[in-house]
Amino acid sequence: MDRRAGTFGLAACLLALLALGALACGSAGFGWGANGELLMLRLPRVLAALAAGCALGLGGANQQGVFRNPLADPGLTGVFGGALLGIALLLAGGADFAWNHRWTLPAAAFGGALATSGVLMLAAGRRSSAQLLLAGLGLNAFTAAGTLVVAARFPEARDVLVNGAAGDWLGSATLELAWAPILGCLSASVLLLTQAGALDRLALGEDTARCLGTEVDAARRHGVLLTALAAAAATCLVGQVAFIGLLAPHLARALVGPRHGAMLPLAGLLGGGLLLLADTLGRSLWTQAPLSAAAMTALLGAPAFVWIASRRHE
Amino acid sequence: MSDALLQALRLSVDLAGRAALDGVALSVAAGEVVAVVGANGAGKTTLLRACAGLLPTATGELSLAGVDPRKAAAGQLSVRLAYAPQHPQSAWDFTVEELGEISPDPQAFRLWLDRLGLGDKFRARLSRLSGGERKAAHLCVTFAALGDAYGKALLLDEPTTALDLCRSELVARAVRASAQAGAAVLLATHDLAWARACDRVLVLQESRLVAVGTPAQTLTDEVVRATWGGVPA
Repeated sequence: MDRRAGTFGLAACLLALLALGALACGSAGFGWGANGELLMLRLPRVLAALAAGCALGLGGANQQGVFRNPLADPGLTGVFGGALLGIALLLAGGADFAWNHRWTLPAAAFGGALATSGVLMLAAGRRSSAQLLLAGLGLNAFTAAGTLVVAARFPEARDVLVNGAAGDWLGSATLELAWAPILGCLSASVLLLTQAGALDRLALGEDTARCLGTEVDAARRHGVLLTALAAAAATCLVGQVAFIGLLAPHLARALVGPRHGAMLPLAGLLGGGLLLLADTLGRSLWTQAPLSAAAMTALLGAPAFVWIASRRHE
Repeated sequence: MSDALLQALRLSVDLAGRAALDGVALSVAAGEVVAVVGANGAGKTTLLRACAGLLPTATGELSLAGVDPRKAAAGQLSVRLAYAPQHPQSAWDFTVEELGEISPDPQAFRLWLDRLGLGDKFRARLSRLSGGERKAAHLCVTFAALGDAYGKALLLDEPTTALDLCRSELVARAVRASAQAGAAVLLATHDLAWARACDRVLVLQESRLVAVGTPAQTLTDEVVRATWGGVPA
């Protein structure tokens, strides 16, 4: 318990330092500006990255728990792709309406994420890791292609969708635009934390979980709904980004063990830290042509994914 | 029959178009240990899962401590039964201690660990245990979930498979003690010596019940030959 408390304390301190660094670093150089104008410019982006990363980490941990599968990640299994496709379809159907009624964007993202989660659950929810991943990769490719089709046929939505597919929306975050999705991410994160007990029992198999008092189908439904909510809110802030939902739970499990009561909150903290780190590195290392957060997480995350996939099943 | 804690009539299960259980009737009273025996694929696991309410599509009448386990809420079920699957699972590499924390009663879990000779493995990861030790650790979750055992059903699917002789004996004693404390025990086993020590035996053959009664009545040479193809018991 002491070790766990120490790990949480250290993670929180590192996150705070990282946030300060992210507020001080950027393409305009180091510092907060003479009157703090750079600070105010970067603040929404930092808050958005922290909230989205937290939701991504918790969403990934939750999806791994619901599917009892260490390779599940909403970014790889098409859930984020579904959220972006939802936004794309809304923009195709009525871009003016969508921009004038901003709430429709997260709603469409939620609908898309929920639809892909549902298909994934029906297609491979109780099957092996490999089948889940294959079904998810198929869904991911389908949703990405759908988004590109919409982008090609509706030029007025092209730039925003291409940036979203590249996970490059953090740069346009303002407090006015971002507060609702940030609240969405935080709400989804808090609700995801309540799933810890059910996920622990689900880990012992569905039969055992039910006999220990868990309504298995309800727990799975809640998990899928909340992951879709987290994915939708995070997608509205960042666009499509993979690997955070995979890496954060694996790191958290390695640090505090697999029980979800400790693992879930740490996965949230680490997810926020990883996305913020990726975004900060991406815009600070290459100031002339900043890399998107999604590109940085892919550069860091893909080797880790290969490492995880090559390990013996836990 | 009316004293039975667990009762089933015409219990049938169809899995993928095949009758996995066909018109089985059984009753288990509090204090009784009933063994289910049969060859591989005879329907033992299906019977136990159906009795635990884990197969909602099972047809026939089913009553467990006054409720139909197929329709009961999970919370209602958990206070009426404890179930150990044939192949216990763990999606993540918990320590034995963490496994106990997931069980409904971590203190009881710790006591059961000591009783089954696993007290020194408390801090070990499940992946570091042998197959038998892992199975025994999961059995401790089941026994911890049974609580005081009185008025509850204990359903065990091949609980001693993979266990060494010593630990198998400890499990058999724990099962008998649970029954003496008031549990109704239904267990599937391939161990005919253990089945002969139970109060009653159900013999399953190709999804059907072919013999019910005391071990002396059921485990006759004729039934053993018909069930296991002439291999001596």
